[in-house]
Amino acid sequence: MHRRTFLKLSSIGTAAFAVGCSAKGEDRLHAMVRANEDMVTGQATLYATACRECPAGCGVLAANREGRVIKLEGNPLHPVNRRALCMRGQAALQGLYHPDRLHRPRLRDGNDWREISFAQAASLLREKMTAAAATGPGRIAMVTETVGRTQMALFETVLAHYGAGSPLVFEPRAYEALKFAYAQVLGAPMLPVLHMERADLLLGFGADFLETWLSPVAYARKFKEMHRWREGRKGFFIEVSPFQSLTGANADRWVGCRPGGEAAVIMGLLRMVLAADTGRVAWRGDLAALAADYTPDAVARLTGVPEEALAAVADRLLAAERPLVLGTGAGVWGASAAAAEMAALFLNLVLDPALSLIDRGDRYRVEVADRRDTVLNAFEAMADNDTALVLLNNVNPVFALPGGDRLGDLLAHGDRFTVVFGNTMDETAARADLVVPVQNALETWDAYEATSRTITTLQPTMGRISAAPGLGDLWLDLLPIEERPATEYRQLTARTVQAAAAADTEAAWLAILQQGGRFDIEASLADAPRVDRQAVDRLRRSLDRLPAPAQDPVLLVAPSLRFLDGRTADRPWMPEIPDPVCQVAWQTVAMVHPRTLSDLGAREGDRIAIATDGGQVQVHAYSHPGVSPVGVVVPAGQGHTHMGRYARGQGVNPIALLGDGRDPLSGAPDGAAPIVRLTAAGPGKALASVSGSRFQHGRKIAVSVPLERADIPPPKSKYLDMDSFPLTLPLPEGYDPKRDFYPPHDHHTYRWAMVVDLDRCVGCSACVAACYAENSVGVVGEEQVIAGREMAWIRIERYQDEQDPTRLIFLPMLCQHCDNAPCESVCPVYAPHHSVEGLNNQIYNRCIGTRYCGQNCPYKVRRFNWFTWPFPEPLNLQLNPDVTVRSAGVMEKCSFCVQRIKTARTRAKNEKREIRDGEVVPACVQTCPTQALWFGNLMDPESTVRKMVDSPRAYQVMGYLNTKPAVIYLKKVVQAL
Amino acid sequence: MALTYRSIDNTVLDTLRPPDRTYWMVIALLFAGVLVGAACWGYQILVGIGVGGQNNPVHWGTYLINFVFWVGIAHSGTLISAILYLFRAGWRNPIARAAETMTVFAVCVAGLYPFIHLGRVWMVYYMLPLPNQRTLWPNFQSPLMFDVVAISTYLIVSSLFWYTGLLPDLATVRDRARGVRRKIFTVLSMGWTGEHEQWRHYARGYLFFAALATPLVISVHSVVSWDFALAVIPGWHTTIFAPYFVAGAIHSGLAMVLTLMIPLRRIFHYEQIITLHVLESVAKTIVFTGLIVGFAYGTEMFIAWYSRVPAEMEAFRWRAFGDYAVEYWIMVVCNTVVPLLLLFKKVRTRIVWLFSISILVNIGMWYERFVIIVGSVAHDFLPHAWGLYRPTLIEFGIMFGSFCLFFFLFVLFVKHMPSVSMTEMKETVHAGGAHDH
Repeated sequence: MHRRTFLKLSSIGTAAFAVGCSAKGEDRLHAMVRANEDMVTGQATLYATACRECPAGCGVLAANREGRVIKLEGNPLHPVNRRALCMRGQAALQGLYHPDRLHRPRLRDGNDWREISFAQAASLLREKMTAAAATGPGRIAMVTETVGRTQMALFETVLAHYGAGSPLVFEPRAYEALKFAYAQVLGAPMLPVLHMERADLLLGFGADFLETWLSPVAYARKFKEMHRWREGRKGFFIEVSPFQSLTGANADRWVGCRPGGEAAVIMGLLRMVLAADTGRVAWRGDLAALAADYTPDAVARLTGVPEEALAAVADRLLAAERPLVLGTGAGVWGASAAAAEMAALFLNLVLDPALSLIDRGDRYRVEVADRRDTVLNAFEAMADNDTALVLLNNVNPVFALPGGDRLGDLLAHGDRFTVVFGNTMDETAARADLVVPVQNALETWDAYEATSRTITTLQPTMGRISAAPGLGDLWLDLLPIEERPATEYRQLTARTVQAAAAADTEAAWLAILQQGGRFDIEASLADAPRVDRQAVDRLRRSLDRLPAPAQDPVLLVAPSLRFLDGRTADRPWMPEIPDPVCQVAWQTVAMVHPRTLSDLGAREGDRIAIATDGGQVQVHAYSHPGVSPVGVVVPAGQGHTHMGRYARGQGVNPIALLGDGRDPLSGAPDGAAPIVRLTAAGPGKALASVSGSRFQHGRKIAVSVPLERADIPPPKSKYLDMDSFPLTLPLPEGYDPKRDFYPPHDHHTYRWAMVVDLDRCVGCSACVAACYAENSVGVVGEEQVIAGREMAWIRIERYQDEQDPTRLIFLPMLCQHCDNAPCESVCPVYAPHHSVEGLNNQIYNRCIGTRYCGQNCPYKVRRFNWFTWPFPEPLNLQLNPDVTVRSAGVMEKCSFCVQRIKTARTRAKNEKREIRDGEVVPACVQTCPTQALWFGNLMDPESTVRKMVDSPRAYQVMGYLNTKPAVIYLKKVVQAL
Repeated sequence: MALTYRSIDNTVLDTLRPPDRTYWMVIALLFAGVLVGAACWGYQILVGIGVGGQNNPVHWGTYLINFVFWVGIAHSGTLISAILYLFRAGWRNPIARAAETMTVFAVCVAGLYPFIHLGRVWMVYYMLPLPNQRTLWPNFQSPLMFDVVAISTYLIVSSLFWYTGLLPDLATVRDRARGVRRKIFTVLSMGWTGEHEQWRHYARGYLFFAALATPLVISVHSVVSWDFALAVIPGWHTTIFAPYFVAGAIHSGLAMVLTLMIPLRRIFHYEQIITLHVLESVAKTIVFTGLIVGFAYGTEMFIAWYSRVPAEMEAFRWRAFGDYAVEYWIMVVCNTVVPLLLLFKKVRTRIVWLFSISILVNIGMWYERFVIIVGSVAHDFLPHAWGLYRPTLIEFGIMFGSFCLFFFLFVLFVKHMPSVSMTEMKETVHAGGAHDH
């Protein structure tokens, strides 16, 4: 070959090579030449904002990594939730990154949709508003979700400009009965903050404060403040209700009553309490007279609550120093709820005339929500008025209201133009004429007053992934330039937040933004409660109107821990994580009493057909003794006909069955409906249950101890058997040559361990959601859950007591990071690896998928990737860059958030010190509202976990296997009524 | 008619005559079955192991059931060819070749299953002690590594043993063959001339191989049983597993020998060679192994009760009366009750009965592995994690493919190689005239 030929050929080759490479696309990460100051590669930037998944309005810190938010954590400074976040809050990110999120406005085009630009949408909106305003005043109607004052004021200003009235605030759960009770008894409708943490006795009638009621994260914390074992004492919690929700499952004693019987039970208690206390106050006398009819046997006859149970509750109430009575939940008739709430408030007043545990100066924002009847009447009025334009902001009445289809027809009636501001094609958006996507709460500027004493600031936590404008900015643009209160909504926000603040400077504003809002708002102190005799009359009137408690089957529709009213049904983690009480994922189940089920001739998992005057549904039956024999409990939230891929066609929507009955006095909607026909509908699809057995079969797994014996250390055991076994700590001290063949591990400085306090765990599953978010755990879907392939690294096991199956215990189960790990010895390739810090690491690259480790794990916490689980774009943007995304064929499991340990170690190393106690906080520990989980170094004698391990309540699950788990459980402390 | 050297040669070499169309049809069908299995496996590799029915807690399903099943089948081949050889049990000679062939092919099929079972089969070389820059070695503490060593040793030793035994017969075939066939058999017979010296070495070598293979019969299935016995799972974690598995393996293998020999005898007119006495002897041994297996079932139950360990007691109660009760009772009846019928002379001298019982024992032994492998982890320590398992179509496809592969190889062998050892038959004739002494 000639030299020239060679050069030619080689240059052609080089060129071809280069061209070939460039076709492959960009596969490198480039460091920015000039990085943003708040973006450091490999390090998260935290933005304080608020969670807007429900009206509770918890403060969150959004962790932004390389430009995208990957994790939400509760803001530790925020007084509502104090660092904790519930599972719905954790899943807020999936609303942001939802693959079916709308990115462009849609205009109805016949039966089809046409995508238009945001500018077109804005001008169309302005045009429609102007046109509507031109025809006369009040031609525009608006319905919004609960929003902050700033947004509300802007709505009002703009609507006023176009000659329309204030927007209606629609919340499917507006607490009408509770507000009504305060209005009737104390003169003003309100939703005050309760100081549950100061109570020593809690008596509930269905208020599901651990799930959805007012501010569940705050109440979970407050509840466990009073209801955890501390220095030999523990508060007492009794729930009397027609069914056991998660809250009822956490009661020391749950007493079933017939649906609609709550008020009678409270009156019975009032009678007994008043009999013991001969007050001279006039209204008390009236009340005693009113309650006189509610003798224990009458109450028992009416409600099914045994006389002795009622007497025991009354004794407890009288003996308590600071009792607090809570009202009903959602699965009741409006009238029953109103009467029960009034009676409960009276009971509180009798027990504590100063209402010292009810902070009437501090009230929840959801108070602004309009009564259900107001909302329904407004919609009904549209049938014959000439509302030309309906604006709906992030509400889904077509789904969440009984008779939603009719509402949809009203929205689409004639040439009425309906605009929906929202990010998903839900049932309401599907009936609209124009759907305008707006920025998600995590992308926008806003302020939200969760309670009277706080203003939480919302700020964009990441760059925009769609061109959608912020709702505030969109609305500002609807005003003529000269009338705009500000050019940008951000300024408006800053102005309201800083109103009456000490310093109105930019620095002060930044400080507020950094801490997530202002938590120092002075709220007016409430006067001492004044009750007049008319209030008792009002209670009498309410009671007189009450129908007798149900004797025949009743459908009870409850809000769901996971879906609330259905708005979070589309976040894949929510259906994927099973309901803690029934342990069923993805499907909607009807919880029925086992006796009812056997009377129907059906078995658990069969479908039953429930027919009411409102319609009929078929739903899986789940047998649960914590339900009144006449109750059929179906949680709301699923059964969407529209919305994204994870909600559409998944589960059953029971709301339509309720009918639009409501209490005319309080406006409270009926959450219950008589069942006209209840029949077995044969076996359907298998139940997507993650629980193999509901009992412990006498094994020491989730262990409880009676209050009297809680501080007595168990006798030292020399043996290793199921009934008595010593604590075999994963430390040299846990080794005994008599039972250990191998010498202890040589751990270096750290031996990571977790303490799980079962006495504090309420089973809320926030930890599970946090783990999904932090560790990029795959979502497998209904079919694979049925096949037994759910991937949760931490799960909430629920066990029923074998003697009294209404007593439930929840046990968070995760990798135990054993010192004597059965998984480590059986792997042929050392994929499970014991680190020098005691972690049981799973090396994904090394794993070949023999699955022997999973077989040999007694705790069954190892999860195999049966397939490569999908993260449809842009959900993949949420994946944690510090965690490997696993593909098909490898085993995975809890890593104790090893990435967080590594981050802490790097930080400690940079500062030339050791990792401090409490510096490493795994995702589950971080988000736990009740602080049931603790993490730390067992080799540090001063660490919290080391000290907790010395508790007389400490034990290891199946410690008799001598696996020496590093997850040490503290027994649940139980007490009898 | 007494057997002579000539009649033995003629009968056996008759079987090697060019096969007819039916034979090739059978071969084609079996090969198609193999392709079905291969396609299922390919699909599984492509999509993920989840196309099978395994889940949490039952991570091991039919793949390991079939692995243990086929390893078990392999065992009695070696028992017959090696142990009974050392014990000078003359009745083993007519069936030794076929049984040893069954061993080799069964081990091959069994050896495929661990690969099929793996989540990431393309990474399987991590299990080999290959020098690598990370100086990472396999974990020799893991029973699965014991398996790798045990199964590969077994495959090597039994193949060599099998081939050594074949040598004189290959030479006999070579001597009567022509053309290409002759060339092939010349190569295969490795220059065997039948010299005295060669016979002397052969006899020694065969004896040593028999001695070497004998402990493997015990050890390989003991090692396989340790896959389970060394785990902590109730129902697995028991010291009886090694002898129990060995007995079970031989039980199933003997049944498979009957299943194979009875048609072979009929098709190849081996009635003179594989006499009823031979089959009866196998049947008697099946009774014996069946009793051992039955004893093991009883012992397991007794020890579970005697231990007073709730998890252990529950595991065995559930086995007999739980979700897999049907499988459990199939196992008990087929493996211990049905073989007892062979105690009756009338039963064990009727070919139909023998054949049916051998099939039932095969089924029973498959279910034994099902009950052990699936039934234990499905219901172990943590009640919350209890779950059930059901094989999927893909798994059945692979299982079908593996049976087809075994029979494909076996049918190919019997038509192209001497399926009865002429050498050993002649020895028998030489030693005592006939084996029914």
